[in-house]
Amino acid sequence: MNYDDEILMAYVDGELDERLSAEISAAMERDPALAGRVERHRALRAKVAGAFTTVLDQPVPERLRAAARATPLAAGGPQRRAEVMDFPARTSGAASRWGAREWSAIAASLLLGMLLLWQFLLPSQRSMITAADGTLVARGALARALDSQLASTQRPEDPVQIGITFRSQDGSYCRGFALRRAETAGLACRVGGEWRIPVTASAPGSTAGLRQAASLPPPVLAAIQARIAGDALDGRAEENARLGGWDPGHSE
Amino acid sequence: MTADAEEISVRLVGLLPRLRRFARSLSRNQHDADDLVQAVVERALRNHEQFRDGANLAAWLFGIMKNAWIDACRARGRRAEVALPEDSGEHPAVSPGDMDTSLWSVSEAMSKLPEEQRLAVALVLVEGMSYKEAAAVLEIPIGTLTSRLARGRSALAAALSENEGPA
Repeated sequence: MNYDDEILMAYVDGELDERLSAEISAAMERDPALAGRVERHRALRAKVAGAFTTVLDQPVPERLRAAARATPLAAGGPQRRAEVMDFPARTSGAASRWGAREWSAIAASLLLGMLLLWQFLLPSQRSMITAADGTLVARGALARALDSQLASTQRPEDPVQIGITFRSQDGSYCRGFALRRAETAGLACRVGGEWRIPVTASAPGSTAGLRQAASLPPPVLAAIQARIAGDALDGRAEENARLGGWDPGHSE
Repeated sequence: MTADAEEISVRLVGLLPRLRRFARSLSRNQHDADDLVQAVVERALRNHEQFRDGANLAAWLFGIMKNAWIDACRARGRRAEVALPEDSGEHPAVSPGDMDTSLWSVSEAMSKLPEEQRLAVALVLVEGMSYKEAAAVLEIPIGTLTSRLARGRSALAAALSENEGPA
């Protein structure tokens, strides 16, 4: 059987249907010359793909991070709305002027905010978030929703609304969420088999459209931005992550 | 409106390494590649309302990069792009990452491909996109994509085996 190079390339790229793909695999066993041609296509693909992976590991220049953080308003108009988005900046001049005192003041107010928030949760909602060892952890209906609810299939009337799901830089899965009645939104990350909640914020008004990170309050957005690696999970990746039990080692 | 821009902004930060890789596979100079990424980021935020919710953001950004890159090539003039390495006898600025010889040699070989073949190779081989996704990004039929891909690969294989000397 004679296969042209375009077919063999498609074979290497995983683009052939099962039948044709199996036919070529079988033919390769009988025909070493054919196997050699396929091997050359495979080696070229691996070489080209491999050559550029080092770029992924290089630090991203600050000018690009700054460009990505700017919203159109921030770029053009006097009404800057992007201050909160600048919050996680690591090395920019403005951020470096912040000393330990300012940071600890922020940390203290965030913590106070969390505790106040926790105090004012309705008893039914208080059962959804508990404080343990200085961190907030999801419990009850919130933990169940984080475990099993998919943004693609949830109903608007569900008490917990799941927003963006993504992989953080340490590999763990994180999910944005909102509690409808408490007008509270937050971020939960899967660590050590539980959902830890590094940030919550009040989310007054509607939580409709939570599928977009957009409707999460700025502190939650900033926390997402500081953690996210790669793109947000799409519906299928979200489902696979759930099937894998949110285990970072489970391949998608 | 700003809300959507904020969502895109958050996700853009996470996609920067991939955008840099795609740009680097189009432009062998890292500084030019980063200029390209910056142009794409700015265009994306300016035109964020054109992004359909639920669509693949990376694919949308790659489409913007394709256009930005073609614009840049046209502006620079194809002659300069193609003539520089052979005629000037010097290599363009080499960044620290390029100490990696396979990056350097593959990048050199890629830079000799015509734009349209380079784009096809970059999307399928470097970014690992399916033919369908890559054809959509480039706004061409799948048949056109596969023939550009085949020609690009043959040229790459020839250039790389030349670099390495007779096998």
